[in-house]
Amino acid sequence: VSAAAVDPITLEVVREGLSSIVREMRVTLTRTAYSSILYEGEDFSCVLMNRDAEIVAMSRGMDHPLHIVPIAWSVKAVRETFGDDIHPGDLFLHNDPYTGGTHLNDVAMIHPLFVDGRLFLFPVVRAHWGDVGGMSPGSLSGRVSEIYQEGVRIPPIRIHDRGQPNQAALDLLFANMRGPREREGDFRAMVGTCRKAAERVEALVARYGPATLAACIAELLDRAEQRMRDRIRTLRPGCYRYEAYLEGGRDRLEPLRVHAAVTVAGDTITVDLAGTSPQTPGPTNVGPAMAPTGAFTILKAFLDPGGEINSGAFRPLTVVTPEGTVVNARRPAPCGGMVEVKYCVESAVMGALSQAMDGKVTGDIKGGGNHCYIGGVLAPDAGARAPGNAGPGADFIFYEYPAAGTGAFDGGDGSNAVRAFTESDITTIQPVEAIEQAYPLRVERCALREGSGGDGQWRGGLGLVREVRVLAPAQLSVLAEKSLLRPYGVCGGFSGAPNRFHVVRGSADVEPSPLPGKVSGFPLVPGDVVVMATSGGGGYGDPLDRDSALVMADLAEGLITPATAQSVYGVVARDGRVDAAATAARRRERAGARRTVALVSAPDLDERDVRRIELSAETARRLGVGEGDVVELVNPRGAPLRLWAAVAPAPAGAARVSPLALAMFGGADGTVEIRRVHAAAPSVSEPGR
Amino acid sequence: MTADRFLVGIDVGGTFTDVTAVDETTGRVLVTKVPSRPDDEASAVLAGLAALAIPGGDVRRLVHGTTVGTNAILERRGARVALITTAGFRDLLEIGRTKRNIPVLFVPRFVRPRPVVERALRFEVDERTGPDGRPLRALTPAAIAATLDAVAAAQPEAVAVCLLHAYASGAHEAQIAAQARLRWPATPISLSSEVVPEYREFERFSTTVLNAYLQPLMERYLTGLEKGLIDAGYRHGVLTVGSSGGMMTVDTARRLPIKTIFSGPAGGVSQACFTARLAGISAFISYDMGGTSTDVCLVQDGTPVTTTDNLVGAFPVKVPQIDIRTVGAGGGSVAWVDVDGSLQVGPRSAGARPGPAAYGLGGREPTVTDANVVLGRIAPGRSLGAAPGAAGPGAPGGALRIDAAAAAGALGSLAASFPGLTPHALAEGILRITAARMTSSIREISIQRGHDPRGFTLIAFGGAGPMHATAVAEELGIPRILVPRHPGNFSALGLLASDVKHDDVRTRLGPLAARTADLAAAFAEMETVAHRQLEADGFGATARRVERSLDLRYRGQAFEIGVPAPPGPLDPVALARDFHRRHLAAYGHADPAGEVEVVNARLAAYGLVTKPEPPRHASPTRRLGEALVETREVWFDGQPRRCPVYERERLPAAAELRGPVVVDEFGSTTVIAPGWRATVDGYGNLLMTRDPAAGDGRP
Repeated sequence: VSAAAVDPITLEVVREGLSSIVREMRVTLTRTAYSSILYEGEDFSCVLMNRDAEIVAMSRGMDHPLHIVPIAWSVKAVRETFGDDIHPGDLFLHNDPYTGGTHLNDVAMIHPLFVDGRLFLFPVVRAHWGDVGGMSPGSLSGRVSEIYQEGVRIPPIRIHDRGQPNQAALDLLFANMRGPREREGDFRAMVGTCRKAAERVEALVARYGPATLAACIAELLDRAEQRMRDRIRTLRPGCYRYEAYLEGGRDRLEPLRVHAAVTVAGDTITVDLAGTSPQTPGPTNVGPAMAPTGAFTILKAFLDPGGEINSGAFRPLTVVTPEGTVVNARRPAPCGGMVEVKYCVESAVMGALSQAMDGKVTGDIKGGGNHCYIGGVLAPDAGARAPGNAGPGADFIFYEYPAAGTGAFDGGDGSNAVRAFTESDITTIQPVEAIEQAYPLRVERCALREGSGGDGQWRGGLGLVREVRVLAPAQLSVLAEKSLLRPYGVCGGFSGAPNRFHVVRGSADVEPSPLPGKVSGFPLVPGDVVVMATSGGGGYGDPLDRDSALVMADLAEGLITPATAQSVYGVVARDGRVDAAATAARRRERAGARRTVALVSAPDLDERDVRRIELSAETARRLGVGEGDVVELVNPRGAPLRLWAAVAPAPAGAARVSPLALAMFGGADGTVEIRRVHAAAPSVSEPGR
Repeated sequence: MTADRFLVGIDVGGTFTDVTAVDETTGRVLVTKVPSRPDDEASAVLAGLAALAIPGGDVRRLVHGTTVGTNAILERRGARVALITTAGFRDLLEIGRTKRNIPVLFVPRFVRPRPVVERALRFEVDERTGPDGRPLRALTPAAIAATLDAVAAAQPEAVAVCLLHAYASGAHEAQIAAQARLRWPATPISLSSEVVPEYREFERFSTTVLNAYLQPLMERYLTGLEKGLIDAGYRHGVLTVGSSGGMMTVDTARRLPIKTIFSGPAGGVSQACFTARLAGISAFISYDMGGTSTDVCLVQDGTPVTTTDNLVGAFPVKVPQIDIRTVGAGGGSVAWVDVDGSLQVGPRSAGARPGPAAYGLGGREPTVTDANVVLGRIAPGRSLGAAPGAAGPGAPGGALRIDAAAAAGALGSLAASFPGLTPHALAEGILRITAARMTSSIREISIQRGHDPRGFTLIAFGGAGPMHATAVAEELGIPRILVPRHPGNFSALGLLASDVKHDDVRTRLGPLAARTADLAAAFAEMETVAHRQLEADGFGATARRVERSLDLRYRGQAFEIGVPAPPGPLDPVALARDFHRRHLAAYGHADPAGEVEVVNARLAAYGLVTKPEPPRHASPTRRLGEALVETREVWFDGQPRRCPVYERERLPAAAELRGPVVVDEFGSTTVIAPGWRATVDGYGNLLMTRDPAAGDGRP
């Protein structure tokens, strides 16, 4: 049946029918799951795939792109592993990151569906299992060095064979996980969900016939593809490069680079991640599926947010992920930090794409999941009602992944402490009143993190601060990024404040790990306060161009300090009103005080690890930049370029950067503004942000 | 003429205000519509009463459903509210659960809706209560004074007091309120422990703050309305329908305006329950399709399911409400071409102005209504909203007539984008896509919750419901449709079928078996309050009914199921058994060995009012032919069919109709598609069933 044979009305009715099936899958899983992370946290996604491993339909907005897009790899892995040895009644299970999984906690169930003896569609569920074994309760943690510490790896396996469960494999899996009863209940819920979807697809086939249905699906994919191609054609052709960094290392920062070369050619885009750091014996690696997912998320968001989400939209995009790097790691690299790597790819791709869109980008965001676990043993007399808890004397796990400020954009401030545009809309913090009923914890503060938003003509959103006092001995684990390398501002906007997870003991700040954001099992004593402070979104545009009335409003709301209003925004107030003349003068003065350097091309820099900038000792002193500091060069039309400073012979007032760095900066050599974003030595005082 | 013989229901909608009056001496029902006045809702209510030409002095009871509160929140026209909260939690209202609560996945430029209380108006007070209700940090008079000084400087119009764990003990909130009332006797104050004393602070705070946000506005509105009605000669209390389907007295509506927030669709469901009961139907799906949206609700055993989780805009409102699913598609939904060439219907609506092209008010875009006009299902030249003799001053009738040429023009321009589709095929397509949307949402409340729609009756009403009902029923395999009398004014009629209702709740978290005594005390306390309120409302002991229920869950779960608690001593074993059974029905599994935990005790206290007995249908005709208005061409399945059009009120008793037939009446049109037949029952309901003579499919 040719696509032309599908009438527009049948097409829409089928589209509604397919999306309704996915919604029904979601309801079925919510209704039948055993663990609260599924039925209340909704940390799962459902999708229909075709025989070519293409996404056919997902719900609009409820499913998590980070779960869904990689399912194409999972289905491909099943097809490659089993070939034609796939039969009605089979069910497959998969979580292996190296063959297209996300992290081990996300387990995919794949149900092949046959029509007239031919493979037709695959209903798939990917659900976060609360625990899949490994070194720590919940399985995710910050200081892992091998994937075996993160739980059980499930390559594509047949878990139901023509309707018969493979009990040996199930017993083996559940024997290696905490809370086996819950795991088994969730597994059964996933089976039921796939069966329900199969019934609905069969009814749809009976109604329209397989040929018409297949033609509709092909047409929906083609239309999504055409929309995306039309949008890509509006971009300026060329190759745009940008890079972002993960906070690798164990005892000190050893940055990991994600380098993106985005080539826009006609109606296609290629994202080549060659130049990305080798895989690391830490949590921030991913398998082959996550980088394409990140690249797609950014393209979709900046080019066609309203269109259908299916694999058609993916066709114009090619993503190259070199093997053995953090974006396509091999055994035994841990992959728990998949959210973090995906977000880093997004930062890099957004920075590159911004060059093709005249700076129509948004400030950067929190850089990952901000996973925070407080675990311990309940006192015998505890009124334990913790989700999943067996009762007093049992383990408890408190798990939050607090949201942060979102990035500012041309025409609007970022939003405060909320899920970002790349994420599904699920809750990330628990009710205080539920926490205090369930755990030996007391939440003492939940507030906006004042001053955390990246300053700019449009200000980044504020992060949040949560202070949790532990009333019993416990352990703290954290997996967070952008704890040192702040979310960048764009087009002259400033960075947001970094994430910061630490402990207050008595009146002293205690760092739970040498490398911020990567904590495993730090021992907490009763009375300790765990402080979760999340990042602010990056700003947009020069803060000296911000409407002074907005600055005054921020001041009145306490979102910025008077000092920031004066020094960063250049707004002078008298008796609560803007002094226009003084403000204009102050703004001229602040603009004049900006630190600038003249860029000089230097082909000889060693940039295997990080991008470098060389300054003379005199220039470095004048700029207040020390050896090893991270600086950024301000890009008035996009994302800033981040570089590691070194002191070396250089002409006065000049900075030596590589030709590649110059290319990433839009090829402009000349005088540019320079800012410090991270001081290598804590003794150096922070210059005004 | 006897005074006090009319019961009047006035349902204020976004576009029209529907007015219904029942003459208790004759059983006669009068209906009309007047344009809504979003800027001055009270005047629309008064105009509605005037349009019926009934003297206020002849009205025994006036009930109205209002959108004042909902609109004020959506349009952010509420009061300047000061929030007083526990030290450390000033921003909790803004942070919430960190959800966007608006559909903006992949939209980088999204802006999270701001809370209705800005940061500068959020104040902290030095105190802290623990989960057991005991103070962890005492509240001192000095702390209260310091906070109230700061609040005073902000000059709020209303105050919300929201402290952590106030569901467990409202003592600190009450102390603050007492001092605040001394200082500002005229300022309304909402306490979280009174508005919604349930645990989970964000939802409680959000609901309480919205209550405060609405209080001054509702006060002004109700005062103005009362005055207007008194001037019109009305001598009784004004009743407002609440979200859970019961009526609220003026005093309750002033104190708890947030409980009026989902009142709109509730009236329709109440009336559907009433109609179904008389027709001997216990399981039905109500299908209320209006101009901009459609509400569907499943009723299993004569009683609608209630829920407490909902949003207004992006803000949680945790008050008991009928569990209604709303779809953004109605008669005014616009059909358009997406950038990829796809035909889309809605969610944008043409609204009241310009409205569908067929309204002739300048609308150029084709809507679902225009598709119905092109297909001949709505009569060309028909006047809207003007029944013979019922049009009062200000009624839109006369001015608004169906302009078939405009509808055809709008459809024609859209058809140009779809070569190969005639305007008629396009029009039928628009209706199919609309029906598919409805079908999905009905699946969500039926099949997805374990109910097979084939065992249900579809009760179709609203201006557009009866026009689309057979298409929806066919998709779902629903065998029977009931179209009640006056479907266009059905919700307003429903206001007259409601009892006065007070909902109350207490959180008593813990193992069910261990908390029986606390629960009994909580029920006793709530019952005392309820009886006092009903007494004050004027209900004697025999005109009251009290229903108790418990929110139960398995230990370790994070959400609850409502289980009725029969009168008498609480039996934890029987309650747990009932809970296991309900859990199994709702979620497909149960754990009889699991520990059952109680979260909330709930009370619903009713003041029972006499309901108008619906008149038996007394038709002025004996033969079907006397009801015939015309025979015209109506399109079905790509073919024009000669189709009789009847006037609803003139259909003879027990008339038998065989589709295709169109039945016209004030405010609505029923389409009986080919393959369906209909009869008129003793109450004048149209009962449609699949025509066995027509076989399985359509001809």
